[in-house]
Amino acid sequence: MVSKGLSTSLPQPQKPLYEPFSCEVTAIKELTHTEKLFRLNRLDGLPFSHKPGQFVQVSIPGSGEAPISVSSSTTRGDYLELAVRKVGSLTAVMHQLNVGSKIGLRGPFGSSFDTKSMKNHDLLLISGGCGLAPMRSLIQFVEDRRDDFGRSTIFYGAKSPEDVMYKTELEDWANGDAFTCRVTVDNVSGGTCWDGQTGLITNLVEAADIDVGKTIAVIVGPPVMYKHVIVKLKDKGVSDDQIIVSLERYMKCGSGKCGHCTIEHLYCCIDGPVFRYDKIKELKGAL
Amino acid sequence: MKRTLTTCPYCGTGCMFYLLVDDKDTLVGIEPSSEHVTAKGQLCVKGWNAHHFVNHPDRLTTPLIRKNGILEEVGWDEALDLVVSKLKQAQSAGGKDSAMFVSSAKTTNEENYLMMKLARAVFKTNNIDHCARLCHSSTVIGLMETLGSGAMTNSIDCMEKADCIFVTGPNTTEQHPLIGTRIIENVTKNGAKLIVADNRKIRLARLADIHVRWKNGTDVPFLNSIMNVIIAEGLEDNEFISKRTENYEELKIVVADYPPEKAAEICGITAQEIVDVARMFAAAKRAMIVYSMGITQHTHGVDNVKCCANLAMLTGNVGSPGTGVNPLRGQNNVQGACDMGALPNVFSGYQKVTDPDVRKKFEKAWRVRNLPGEIVHTVTTAINAAAEGSLKAMYIMGENPMMSDPDQNHVREALEKLDFLVVQDIFPTITSDYADVILPATTYAEKDGTFTSTERRVQRVSKAIEPINQSRPDWQILCDIAALAGYEGMKYDSVSDIMDEIASVTPIYGGISYERIDMIGLQWPCPDRNHPGTKILHVDKFSRGLGKFSPARYRPSVEMPDEEYPFVLSTGRSYFHFHSGTMTRRSQLLDREQRFPYVEISPQDAAEHAIAPGSWMYVATRRGEVKVKANVTDVAKKGVLFMPFHYKEGPANLLTINALDPVANIPEYKVCAAKIRKAQ
Amino acid sequence: MKVLVLTEQKLMEFLASARTAYDVRVPVSLHDGTRVIGRLGEGPLAIKGGAINQKITSIFFPHMETVLKCSNGGFESPEPAPKPMLVVGFTKQDADCLEFIDRFYNDKFRDDVYFNKRDNAVIVCVSGRCGANGKLLKVSGDNCDMELICDGQDYIVRAYTDVGKSLIEDIGSTEIVPEETLEQIEKESDQLCVEGLDLLNAASKLLLEDKVPDEFWQSISDRCIACTSCNLACPTCTCFDVFDRTNGCGIDRWRIWDSCQLDGFMREASGHNPMGQELIRTRRRIHHKLAADVTRWGHITCYQCGRCDNVCPTGIGIMSVCKEMVEKYG
Repeated sequence: MVSKGLSTSLPQPQKPLYEPFSCEVTAIKELTHTEKLFRLNRLDGLPFSHKPGQFVQVSIPGSGEAPISVSSSTTRGDYLELAVRKVGSLTAVMHQLNVGSKIGLRGPFGSSFDTKSMKNHDLLLISGGCGLAPMRSLIQFVEDRRDDFGRSTIFYGAKSPEDVMYKTELEDWANGDAFTCRVTVDNVSGGTCWDGQTGLITNLVEAADIDVGKTIAVIVGPPVMYKHVIVKLKDKGVSDDQIIVSLERYMKCGSGKCGHCTIEHLYCCIDGPVFRYDKIKELKGAL
Repeated sequence: MKRTLTTCPYCGTGCMFYLLVDDKDTLVGIEPSSEHVTAKGQLCVKGWNAHHFVNHPDRLTTPLIRKNGILEEVGWDEALDLVVSKLKQAQSAGGKDSAMFVSSAKTTNEENYLMMKLARAVFKTNNIDHCARLCHSSTVIGLMETLGSGAMTNSIDCMEKADCIFVTGPNTTEQHPLIGTRIIENVTKNGAKLIVADNRKIRLARLADIHVRWKNGTDVPFLNSIMNVIIAEGLEDNEFISKRTENYEELKIVVADYPPEKAAEICGITAQEIVDVARMFAAAKRAMIVYSMGITQHTHGVDNVKCCANLAMLTGNVGSPGTGVNPLRGQNNVQGACDMGALPNVFSGYQKVTDPDVRKKFEKAWRVRNLPGEIVHTVTTAINAAAEGSLKAMYIMGENPMMSDPDQNHVREALEKLDFLVVQDIFPTITSDYADVILPATTYAEKDGTFTSTERRVQRVSKAIEPINQSRPDWQILCDIAALAGYEGMKYDSVSDIMDEIASVTPIYGGISYERIDMIGLQWPCPDRNHPGTKILHVDKFSRGLGKFSPARYRPSVEMPDEEYPFVLSTGRSYFHFHSGTMTRRSQLLDREQRFPYVEISPQDAAEHAIAPGSWMYVATRRGEVKVKANVTDVAKKGVLFMPFHYKEGPANLLTINALDPVANIPEYKVCAAKIRKAQ
Repeated sequence: MKVLVLTEQKLMEFLASARTAYDVRVPVSLHDGTRVIGRLGEGPLAIKGGAINQKITSIFFPHMETVLKCSNGGFESPEPAPKPMLVVGFTKQDADCLEFIDRFYNDKFRDDVYFNKRDNAVIVCVSGRCGANGKLLKVSGDNCDMELICDGQDYIVRAYTDVGKSLIEDIGSTEIVPEETLEQIEKESDQLCVEGLDLLNAASKLLLEDKVPDEFWQSISDRCIACTSCNLACPTCTCFDVFDRTNGCGIDRWRIWDSCQLDGFMREASGHNPMGQELIRTRRRIHHKLAADVTRWGHITCYQCGRCDNVCPTGIGIMSVCKEMVEKYG
């Protein structure tokens, strides 16, 4: 009775698309001077069932919604952690929240890191800036299913020592058996104590010992980082289909409707945010 | 869903559209009018978003009185009683002229007329003015002297008929977008010649045949030199000059002093550019001058305007389609506010207050005695007088001088010194921060009335929703104040009755009535009920009889760059925001587009100061310093900065200089000296 | 041939009677002659005159609408209207546009705010000899529930869906019309529009083959003033922005039409902007419909309704741009 297009099978009955569910903030941790980590639990007790790499739409009535990538893995329990950098109006309000505050959430949305096809591969997990937030969900997953994966290396680059997120966890990963973990910062300003490496993240990639045949590289970082890191990876012989990227856009709906996250024919929110590099490298404006 | 046809509240182009209202009396959208003569089913981005601010939660909704420093909600009666008694108190202490009435180019003709009537008939002062002082007062004076009428000579549709368009000083595609698009269409489709004389590489400059980037403030030598070339090469229209004009010999004498080589040096361009412009303009069958703030906002603004008029007359380009001297009016009703006599020197229809016969006529019509004949203050001198302490009270309707007048600290000092300030507006502003009484007015969507567009077209504004909360239309507030002050002559059943009164005392509006302007309006002069309105002024005869050549000589701007302040700072508007930003910054998409105060700076200057695109930086003048984002763009010429004045957190007018044109009292917003530094 | 034929008067009566079950929307002529889809009685019926200038899909995807109400920490989604809509005034192209955005809003996640209005709505197309300046409007065929085929004066009514058929049955009486009238209209209709489609296909091919350089987009964007009218008039433009606004008793979350021609469309809070250049935005406006959607949906998503070309104040609507593009690079 309605026009032709609808005769195709309808999806499962769903909750109203734009209606968030309520969550409670159960823990807050300061990560850097601009980033905080929020742990959330659903008020209805249901699991989040998110996968590494997915994002949620955080909803604060009066301030709107913002897409935030999930920073924790379900392998750790039925909570969800978001590392939030204070950049806009909504994130500024989030930084005012306390333990016990209620916020709305929609999702999880988007594609995830394909942990099945990563099985038995060596993993090169490269992140920069707040790209470590989504990467951490994968790192935790790999740590919790350690035997499923080969040699796993974490490279992380930040602007300065003050900007390094998850400092203690990075130390733990570096000291533990699960990962090789290296951190570098672009600059150290005078008076700052930093005994780690300085320089761009590309230096870490350049120096990496990679078994090209069995490696999958995952990159999450600020827009400028991708191109440079990919060049270094390709120099080492890593092919395009062995590179996974996660792209950030300002999604308004999370469900392929509002149009703010298109990359040519793809929607970052439903086709991404996680893409295999060879699928997007020809698309204008992707990287 | 309800639809109401009304006129856009932003620029002076005067597009009409339909406001969409939902069942809860909330504005939920815009639909263009496909039949409207200017809009033709089209709108610019501000038009498409013109519904958005109306229902914003920040709206002023109840009258407020400051008690012990704190604003308290009060009833209308209490607020209006206080306004009347305080205004009277100020006048009885300091004389009638110690109170100033500031009208508004955003409000309707009827409201401007009533504010004018209130000041003159009830409070017996000619201290009535509005922000046209800040934008086109030099036009009104300059064109009145040369042509006899201070308005756009031609109509918007003439933009499509010109063979050559000389654009100097407006950024039409951003400030009068649909007028700008008519120019683009004429250039791209009909091959009309386009000359853009503007320091900035505005969008039209990309399509221009000639783009001249002179030094800011050298308009007079540039225009004089163009005329010098035209006369030297015999390209002038001698028939037009001899039949229609006077004082040509004097023009010849003055422009003779501006040969291209000499002018080029003053203007910082080449002599060839001047010659090219002169030849292209003079060669066109129908050549049109389109100008705006770049011409008017100088201490030599009146001179600039006169030079434009001189050029048009010299080439016979007045009084026919596709020609003329066309100042573009920047606000929805700035033309109307001038027409209504919200100016210190004239009643409605530019009838002089110094003329005893005119005063008599209004005394009779308004049933009052002793209308004042003395002209004391303009908006700009009133602020100076308040700062000096001689002006005691101010009634500001729908204006925001803290944001829009030059030298914000000076304005603040003036407002603080006032004994009494009443601000009537739709949103709280930084001006209302200094008010003793705040009166909540309605927006255009909640009232009836008329606006007069830049092409002198009087058009309807129609009420789409009921006034929000306790807000009231400005005209009703003004009428109540008049009544409380003991005047019986300001009682009207409807706004249509006000227009009938306007028509009865204003010859150029004589034939205007709501019945006649129902759909597409009428262009004044429209002297009687059978007159079809006037598309083009000065057709067979100038409004003053003969056109008068009024030559001017170059006077440099007041504050030129020097070693300490090496940049020229120019100010204006951006595409997405309007004036002090109270409406556009409360409109989702417009606000999102340009959320932060910024300065346009050339790539070379930015590089020299290690300022990265989008980073924060400081701009300072002798008046103060403002933190803004760097918009690094080749729109800006090296050595010149441009800042829009919309942002209260980065106010351009904290920096501008309070230097006025000696005749028009218009401030020099387009030139002052500045320096910059990177923000850490 | 026996078919149902209605005079405008009879049609009016039918629409008035349909109001018991439907929220009836029809082309009306407003105060100054602007034609819009409005409520019956909002102005004189104005079915004749061709496509309505207004974005036709605004019936189901309006300029601004609430998508959520928030109060006391709870959330509430909008409910479907009590009566479904019956909308008269779609052209064949308009119906094609609607069919596409139905699919779009239903893909992967179902946009219930859209379908609250769209579900059970009856779409009535208008075609035949009633276009602007007497032009023939293409006969829709079956992409709607019901069609009014104008013979120059009266309307031959055809139903395609069960709902359409039952509505016709309610009217009852039928009349005889000369068989050739309908046949002739359909024959003429079949010959329409080929030219425009050829142009779009040629342009689409150029884009898919990446044969259009940046200089071209720059020259078009030089003439674009970012008025956003093309997007806001386009029936297949679906982009929106979201904002919250407090009202007396809570907070409403609204969506409002957005435009990819605005610099802020994709700009992130950090300042990063994948579409931060004019020419990229101008390219997207055309490329999205003619290339990106071809890859995603298998077809062009411009149905040549002509609205963006009408509403663009500088003459760079999609057809004009395609013409220029194909002349230069085809």
